[in-house]
Amino acid sequence: MRRASVWIFLAYLCTPSFALYRKEIYKEDLRIQSLRDGQVSTTFSFVTVLEGAGPRNPKALGQRDESQHYALFPLTLGQILREYAITELHLTLNAGKWNYDNWGHPHEAGVGTGAELWAWMGASEVTTVDERWSGLRNALSGLFCASLGSLDSRRTLSPTVAFPLSGSTPTFSPHELRHASLPSENVCTENLTPFLKLLPCKSHAGLATLLNPQKVFDADWHGMGVHVIWKEDTGIELKLSLQTVFNPVRTSAGKRRDWNLQSLFDRSIERSCPVASSSSITVILPEGKDHKITPENPSYMDGLAIYDLSSSSNFTIPSNIAMYWPSEHSFQYRKSLSVPLPPLTPITPLSVKRTIHGTTQTRGVLSVSVTNNSPQEISVGYLEMMPALITMWMHTLKVEINSQIRSDLLSELKYHPPSPQSNDRFSPSMLQAVLTIPPKTTLKISMEVNKAFLKYTEHPPDAMRGWDLPGAVFFPLSQLSHNTSSSYDWERIYTPTLLVDLPTPDFSMPYNVIILSCTLMTLIFGSIFNLLTRKWVVMEIQE
Amino acid sequence: MFSMRFQLLPQACLLLLTCFVAWAVGSSAPAGERAADFFSRHDSGSGHTNNWAVLVCASRYWFNYRHMANALGMYRTVKRLGIPDSNIILMLADDVACNARNKFAGSVYAEAGRHLDLYGENIEVDYRGYEVTVENFIRLLTGRVDPSMPRSKRLLTDDHSNIFVYMTGHGGNEFLKFQDQEEISAFDIADAFEQMWQKKRYNEILFMIDTCQANTMYSQIYSPNILATGSSQIEENSYSYENDNDIGVSVIDSYTHYVLKFMEGINKTSQASMQDLFDSYDPVKIYSHPGIRSDLFRRPLDKTLITDFFGGIAQAEAFPLQDIVGSSNHHENDPTPPTSQKPDTPSVPVVLSPTVVSLPRLTGETHAWDNRWKEVRKWTSIFVVGCLVSWVSFVR
Repeated sequence: MRRASVWIFLAYLCTPSFALYRKEIYKEDLRIQSLRDGQVSTTFSFVTVLEGAGPRNPKALGQRDESQHYALFPLTLGQILREYAITELHLTLNAGKWNYDNWGHPHEAGVGTGAELWAWMGASEVTTVDERWSGLRNALSGLFCASLGSLDSRRTLSPTVAFPLSGSTPTFSPHELRHASLPSENVCTENLTPFLKLLPCKSHAGLATLLNPQKVFDADWHGMGVHVIWKEDTGIELKLSLQTVFNPVRTSAGKRRDWNLQSLFDRSIERSCPVASSSSITVILPEGKDHKITPENPSYMDGLAIYDLSSSSNFTIPSNIAMYWPSEHSFQYRKSLSVPLPPLTPITPLSVKRTIHGTTQTRGVLSVSVTNNSPQEISVGYLEMMPALITMWMHTLKVEINSQIRSDLLSELKYHPPSPQSNDRFSPSMLQAVLTIPPKTTLKISMEVNKAFLKYTEHPPDAMRGWDLPGAVFFPLSQLSHNTSSSYDWERIYTPTLLVDLPTPDFSMPYNVIILSCTLMTLIFGSIFNLLTRKWVVMEIQE
Repeated sequence: MFSMRFQLLPQACLLLLTCFVAWAVGSSAPAGERAADFFSRHDSGSGHTNNWAVLVCASRYWFNYRHMANALGMYRTVKRLGIPDSNIILMLADDVACNARNKFAGSVYAEAGRHLDLYGENIEVDYRGYEVTVENFIRLLTGRVDPSMPRSKRLLTDDHSNIFVYMTGHGGNEFLKFQDQEEISAFDIADAFEQMWQKKRYNEILFMIDTCQANTMYSQIYSPNILATGSSQIEENSYSYENDNDIGVSVIDSYTHYVLKFMEGINKTSQASMQDLFDSYDPVKIYSHPGIRSDLFRRPLDKTLITDFFGGIAQAEAFPLQDIVGSSNHHENDPTPPTSQKPDTPSVPVVLSPTVVSLPRLTGETHAWDNRWKEVRKWTSIFVVGCLVSWVSFVR
């Protein structure tokens, strides 16, 4: 008996702990593109791949997890993903309005204003998807200093067609989607600070040294994104992206559209990140020959100039990549002194606009217009996720081209009205349809809406500002084939957000009512009390 | 008779063993005293081991830029003096740095020349925008938060934490306005502090408030170990200090401006006391009468260091047992551990504060003798227990 215990003890000492050390790859890339209206779009993407790893099986959530050892993958995010058994996660924090007509499609498709969070999770009886969604929101709000905790059931939906799984689908359980957006979320340095802390080299080395918050948040559009995707053959891929659209014409002294890294970011890259397997700056060269790019010797590849910044290349660091137009004085976008110029065709085949108009505070008309700029007919999906503040009346839904009703162009209409959730709240309503737009025409969809009358405690502190409504999403129908009639590959188009004025009560009325009624009661009670009890007595005053 | 004695013997041994254990336990009581003595040796006797800061800006809108700048100025001060981000809860009711009205995106300035950016590149705002409510503030203080609240938004203090609570916004007689929608009253704060005291969530609190009629906000506090200071008396307004013409609004409040100016002269090792800070109050310059409430605070103010509340460095010192009285001044920045004569004392880097006037030799030697005695007792007790066990098994 004693001998057996001794042997067991020795065996325990000799057993190594089978922790898995996975291979991790880190790549960083910066794409810079000069847009046709003189602005410069920069897209940083920092990709960390955890090879051979897979998402956690949600059925095993009650049990102890295998130990996670990361060298480059951020531990804080990895712990959140394991804790809630998340298969795919997308979080974007954007500010501004993406101008599809002049800027084209962004490199990262999630450009909806404000915060947008969506996650695919496997179903499980141990903890429900909704509980894990709530835990995920709060954990990410603590990690990124964003108020994502308010993305509760009032803003959560499941639009599986427009937001499909980008990676592989695990087989252990059927997966569900949770999507929520908060268009009024502000993005500032406190969101960038934890974002940079997720990178292996943080902001000390590599491309992330360029991220100067005073310049990034001065851009005309900026957004950061966290995307976690599982691909069966590679593993878990974490992509941290930061897109900005700078305006050198506004910020430069001579109103020129020349740019260089120093003028855009006010920083220079001192060192390359030693753990990056590839680190490069790709400049998408504009058409025409009147621009010049320095340094002179990048590697060219069909319209791209690639500068390899990794330590193995012979590219000298620090360096300043610059593009300038030597023959231009100041950049004039479409200004001609003599003739009015015709409008430029938008870069994207689809242009979208959305408004709510109406004169009363109770009713309005929601109107969405989609323009097909290409010579072929296009079929797109249209998704509207409207918070329960706005009630859309389906019987007033009209599809028109030039005031002519064309109901045949709208098909496969699906509408989910707001459903009551726990604690007296309503989920958003979801409207999904397929639109077929003939070439070179503008399709207009309109429907009447009612604005909700909220209880006075439900209004935010700045109630007079109004409520932000998330943008509608247009998505391509066939996700699988890449050689459809459109010669480009796009994921989603977001309309701008809307600000709607709901009827607000007079917030001073509770105070007024209390004051007035208390005064009246005091006067009435006081008068009656005095009448009943006060006695007038003659008193002698001694001199 | 002999067998009877043997029968009684296990009980007698058990009695002896319990007496021994009681004596061992009783004589280890000085260990607790020695720990308290260690922690209080170089600070002013507050007995705190960690520092927290709760900085609240309760006003929204662009024209309340100065309240945001007040809170951010305090944030930068406590961060500079050593409190880490994980121990700072910053609540800003609105975003001015990335506001569309801000000409200088990503920057918040507290003076008219815009020399020092308070927002910087490394900032974590724990509660922002609509999350800054009275309910969240009181839940944060008392610790009664939803289980889903992330760690960075909780006040994880214990009974050795010193907390600096700073509030700024618009206020009045015993109330402070949160976001123009609701109010917190002096009674709410007093009750929250009392809950914290009952739950042993603080060692000492410094409560500083910069609003109109600020001194009324701390008039109702009734829990011990709270030092409070405010910017203006009852029936008095607190005024802003100056405007910046490019930002377009007032950038800092008067009282906070002078407090921050005093703090510029404080660094992590400063020995300035709270009395120095309170002596620097000048009602003529501030345009209001700042107040101090120290009746609930048990230590004298001139012995209370500023870094007890604003700083985050715990002074630790380990004693190598050699004569370091004479050479204490040379060891200020010495990173290498000095050699110790006693091999069983662990040698650790010695960090001395510059004003140490202690008697390390005497106490060092006393410590060694204490350690020796503890070792002797330990081995004796193990030996006795071993003997008893082996004797019992032998008898069986």
